[in-house]
Amino acid sequence: MQHDPQETEPRRPRPALAAAAAAAAVLLAVTACARTEEDASEDDGGGGGGEGQEQVLDEAAAGDETCTLDEYGGEGFDLTDVRVGFSQSEAESNPFRITETQSIVDEAEERGVDLITSNAQSDFAQQINDVQDLMSQGAEVLIIAPLNSDGWKPVLDEAAAEDIPIITVDRAINGTACEDFVTFIGSDFVEQGRRAADQMIDALDGEGEVAVLLGAAGNNVTTERTEGFQERIEAEAPGIEIVFEQSGDFTREGGQSVTEQLVQSEPDIDGIYAQNDEMGIGAVTALNGAGKESGEVSIVTVDGTEEAVQHIVDGWIHGVVESNPRFGPLAFEAAESFGAGEEVGTELIITDRAYDPSNAEEELPHAY
Amino acid sequence: MSTVTERVPGPGSESSRGVPVRELLQRHGALLVLAVVLVAAGVGLDGFLTAGNLNHVAVGSAFLAILALGMTFVIVTGGIDLSVGTNFALGGVLAAWASQYGSLAALALPLAVCGAIGLLNGVLIARARLAPFITTLATMLGAWGLMLSVSDEGNTTYLVPDGAVLTSLVHGRLFGVIGYPLLLVLVLFVIGGIALSRTGWGQNVYAVGGDERSAALMGVPVARTKTAVYTVSGLCAGAAGVLNAFWLGSGVTIFGIGIELQAISAVVIGGTLLSGGYGFVSGSFVGVMLLAVIQNIINTISGLTSAFQEVVSGVFLIVVVLAQSRLSRSRPRA
Repeated sequence: MQHDPQETEPRRPRPALAAAAAAAAVLLAVTACARTEEDASEDDGGGGGGEGQEQVLDEAAAGDETCTLDEYGGEGFDLTDVRVGFSQSEAESNPFRITETQSIVDEAEERGVDLITSNAQSDFAQQINDVQDLMSQGAEVLIIAPLNSDGWKPVLDEAAAEDIPIITVDRAINGTACEDFVTFIGSDFVEQGRRAADQMIDALDGEGEVAVLLGAAGNNVTTERTEGFQERIEAEAPGIEIVFEQSGDFTREGGQSVTEQLVQSEPDIDGIYAQNDEMGIGAVTALNGAGKESGEVSIVTVDGTEEAVQHIVDGWIHGVVESNPRFGPLAFEAAESFGAGEEVGTELIITDRAYDPSNAEEELPHAY
Repeated sequence: MSTVTERVPGPGSESSRGVPVRELLQRHGALLVLAVVLVAAGVGLDGFLTAGNLNHVAVGSAFLAILALGMTFVIVTGGIDLSVGTNFALGGVLAAWASQYGSLAALALPLAVCGAIGLLNGVLIARARLAPFITTLATMLGAWGLMLSVSDEGNTTYLVPDGAVLTSLVHGRLFGVIGYPLLLVLVLFVIGGIALSRTGWGQNVYAVGGDERSAALMGVPVARTKTAVYTVSGLCAGAAGVLNAFWLGSGVTIFGIGIELQAISAVVIGGTLLSGGYGFVSGSFVGVMLLAVIQNIINTISGLTSAFQEVVSGVFLIVVVLAQSRLSRSRPRA
């Protein structure tokens, strides 16, 4: 059909330059991804420590609805006979993610369950593909840590067609419980927001201007941690004003760059509520760079990573509300009961602890 | 110096006598690799060569394929379009928002807006003579901003109502096996292939990429051709966005950043030269499939994290670009 003539023009400078630049851009993206992976494996030694506290269910916070095999459809199974697929959402450069994956892997090993895993590296298209790949590879039970709450239609359809039970952990999938998925296991994020507000009120004595570093858009964690915080501040501390809200995308770099902008526009800010530790640590770096002293700005964060709790000891962070990522035991327990035909709650809410200057030092070993 | 018409690939080209190996490699190298990879994976991995798995690999990469199709035209003219990723995201959000007014609106609005952004790219590049890299970088940011403002900073995810006509089409399968998105991709690629290789417009695209000045001297409407390819690229991004919105059932806002680089990689792996003047749409389709299959295989081999996919794709790209520069250097000049 087509055939290129034998000669080729010597490349003219302009397109060649564009070509080189584009190639460089592609390579940059590629190396950036490769680096994330290296970081994850380097961090791996530190994260997922065995000393961590297992998740405990909060009976009071959980919903009343339950789901059984009969309602969901499909046949009963013994967990040791089936293959379980786990899809992780974000790159494991975040301690929360390392600990979460490690907890699932450890629990599977302990129970002798055949587990296959994938990591979407914060790419939602990739996560949809990942989960479909897990099903192609014969996963009969799915544990998903969703990156985004919406957009799961192709996965939910396929899983429903094959009667594959789905358990979502840490973030929710928007859909009908016991129809689209079996259960959601996670923290009460509204409550986390409220408790963060309590710590902020305590730190500022109920007076001052506060900035909020929001998490990534499009998932329930960000909206609920915001909702709880605002609600409690409005109800309990009319003297505190939220003067700045911007997304740091749950990343350290995001938290740092947003805080850099913050100290430019609001140099006298009294408190920062970071919706996860990574952003909070980024904020510390930014404040440090702007010449602030530790304790000058009260920072409250959510997660409970070792580094953040260490910052409480050092005086940079005032308080951390825990969000326990050790989902392994509860997720497999839910899958086991479900396979045996028992009732499983469609919303399993875990209790979270909190770190503040009074307990940070002694509780440090429990942080992840 | 050769004339423009000579460098335009055509069936009757004189140089088709004894097609050199390097030419075949440039044209079909990616296809060869894809075939080898498919056979190796089929032999080595259980459940890989099943209709279900292959279908989901193909359907899952349908969006990327449509972006790569538009990108092929742009790259053949010697340009680049970095705006397709965020334009695609914007298209998806607009489609999901407009779906409340029916499938026709969900189709028309994203195509109009994304096409307009493509047109803007084209006009700025062709008429105002701005560099494609910078121009499309600017519209990439612009489209992202527009998407954020439409979706309340990404906080609002518009849902496609149940029972929309397009939803059943997008999720349907021919004979229960081949997903309709794949068929759509094939149809678009056949149309694109014919447009590029068999029409006067296609010849203009090659001519502009080969040597813009000579093309202009030959009376090729350079500015109009360039404007057209960027508009087509924008339309492709819009179409991919619509497809994606109905595929996912919602206007997901965390989509599309970086996908333009995947589209560029796929086009280059498919044998199209980034310097312009040479390329074909079938190669881009093969490039997309190759990237998707590699990802699928890496997911299947347990123990390899998906980060490896980026590494493998990156290595692959370097090999292809190296091979291309060797091949084009060894081609004798007339």
